[in-house]
Amino acid sequence: MNRSFRFLFALLACAALARAEDRVPLKLDLPKPLFVGTPRPIHLANLEPPTAGKRPDLLVPAGTVLLSRGKPVTSSDSLPVIGELAFVTDGEKSGVDDTYVELGPGAQWVQIDLGAPAKIAAIAVWHFHSQARVYHAVIVQVADDAAFKTNVRTLFNNDDDNSAKLGKGSDLAYIETYQGRVIDAKGAAARYVRLYSNGNTSDELNHYVEVEVFGQPVK
Amino acid sequence: MVATLQRWWPFALVALAALWLRTHELARRPMHADEANQAVKLGELLETGRYAYDPGDHHGPTLYYAALPIAWLRGQRTLAALDETTVRLVSALAGTLGVLLLAALAMPPALSRSNGLGRWPALAAAAFMAVAPPAVYYSRYFVQETLLVTFTLAALVCAQRWWRTGRGSWALGAGACAGLMQATKESAPLFALAALIALAAVRPPAPTSSRRARDALLAALAAVMVAALFYSSFGAHPAGLRDALAAYGHAWTRANGDSGHEKPGWYYLRLFAWQRTGGLVFEQLAFFALALAGAIVAVASGKKLLRWAAVYTAIVVAALSLTPYKTPWHAVHLVPGFALLAAGALAALPRWRIATVIGVAALALQTVQTSRVAFAYPADERNPYAYVHSSPDVLKFRPLAEAALSRAPDRPVRVIGEEYWPLPWYLRGLPRVGYWSAPPADCDGALVIVSAGEVGAVRARLHGAYRESFLGLRPGVVCVVFTPSP
Repeated sequence: MNRSFRFLFALLACAALARAEDRVPLKLDLPKPLFVGTPRPIHLANLEPPTAGKRPDLLVPAGTVLLSRGKPVTSSDSLPVIGELAFVTDGEKSGVDDTYVELGPGAQWVQIDLGAPAKIAAIAVWHFHSQARVYHAVIVQVADDAAFKTNVRTLFNNDDDNSAKLGKGSDLAYIETYQGRVIDAKGAAARYVRLYSNGNTSDELNHYVEVEVFGQPVK
Repeated sequence: MVATLQRWWPFALVALAALWLRTHELARRPMHADEANQAVKLGELLETGRYAYDPGDHHGPTLYYAALPIAWLRGQRTLAALDETTVRLVSALAGTLGVLLLAALAMPPALSRSNGLGRWPALAAAAFMAVAPPAVYYSRYFVQETLLVTFTLAALVCAQRWWRTGRGSWALGAGACAGLMQATKESAPLFALAALIALAAVRPPAPTSSRRARDALLAALAAVMVAALFYSSFGAHPAGLRDALAAYGHAWTRANGDSGHEKPGWYYLRLFAWQRTGGLVFEQLAFFALALAGAIVAVASGKKLLRWAAVYTAIVVAALSLTPYKTPWHAVHLVPGFALLAAGALAALPRWRIATVIGVAALALQTVQTSRVAFAYPADERNPYAYVHSSPDVLKFRPLAEAALSRAPDRPVRVIGEEYWPLPWYLRGLPRVGYWSAPPADCDGALVIVSAGEVGAVRARLHGAYRESFLGLRPGVVCVVFTPSP
């Protein structure tokens, strides 16, 4: 009886803890698929196989909100030929012409200023999803300052040959789809988010349809 | 001497501009699969002296033979030594020569004004061709099209001279050039036929030659001889003559069959009009409008050459547009006609200052477009002339292969997939590189490059640990590169 009571007590304690750390599926508003025709079947061990349906949810703390909508965006390519930097956080994810910004060739970055420090739960990025392509050297970092000097943390890095000169990364390369790539930020506290890439398998350019940063403002 | 310089320096400037546009940073664009394929074939000819015409997958032999002296002059004697500049110089030089030939066609020497366009319109026509986006783009491309345009213009210039002078040597030259046309590409008869129909339509004065039948025979013999020499590999491969005829069966199937290159009828005209793709605008509206105006002038005026250009261009446009098989390099065949017509439209303007302003503005707009298609976005899939083009990633395969072979000199580099061009060009000269269209029993190697469709099968046959990365072959076509883990 005594043991049963202790077991019940432990169970209740766990439940209470779970309530305090409530985690809910991250809700993403996804654009419609743009692939036309039959994409080439690619079954690879080092990246998620193309999913036929919905991918598994990323669990984030309850109360997580979209922080990046309409926030200012800067870039290593300050005058993009195609599109505007504001497209990165404008909420338009369809991926058709006039909804993405195109940065120049080579390693380039975009940076989002959240306006205030936040506990970042997840970052979702759509580079370009109207064609099967892989972006090289995708690196996502957060920092406390705009110059990325203070408290820089790398949340994702698949630059396996260090082409972006930020160190080799072991994360997996992936093929762009309308589902974008969701990166678990694990509650990193930061005000600035920077995303790098170094061309892609179709051309040397870098594209962003949308970037969404989810989290909670630091009180 | 001074008078001669004054007379010709504008033409020299146009030729220099044409040459610069066609040769500047010639090696910068990655090799298209078709270029790579033909360059490897050239390498075989260069190394062994052997060439056999293949009617199924290749066009005529002149491209390869024309590249030989350039390779020799640049000290390149093997496939491994060949580079992009050498092979593309064939088209670049031919394209520049074509510009001068168009000027010569528009301004025959000592010809009455009613038969030519005049000096300044001839200069304008040459300038329009010098800067036309498709003409520049495909003059920087190791395929047959620019060579065919140049041989066509050379044949026309020779025929025009024969018509005026009656000299047999011009007839011989026209025939030889017609033979070169035929030895360049199977579509040559279309342009010869279009030129003859247009000639009949404009009813020019009778040729001055008193021995027309003899001259015609001379020209025909020269054409057959030249074409036969090339197709038979200068006698070393007589079966090439039979294959040259068999090529029309393949061409018919390709032109009308399910080739994957079928496009709507307005495809070629749209290339000269306006299109916006992925935020980039490609247009030649001013040039196209001038050409259309020139067609109206041709009908209204008595200029035989202009009327001939209008009819010839209309026939070529119709023939190319009605053929289901369409690729953008065929657009270069429309450029000389459009250039003559555009120059004719300028010449018809009542005030030369207005003509100069319009002409310079149109040339400037064309130059902007050319800089976009040939230099800013030469391999970008939005560029209408960069047709199923290799992506810049193809430049990364060779360093990977070299590094892999230095790490494991006794192991092979395997390229496995249903599609792998232009990789044989980029991996030329490296030892132990093999190509498989389907996964072999043993897939292991110092480096294993696999097209996306074969990745599962290849991975199942690999032993040991491999790191996997991705490189693009062309837009939408991704290769997986397996590198043995250290």
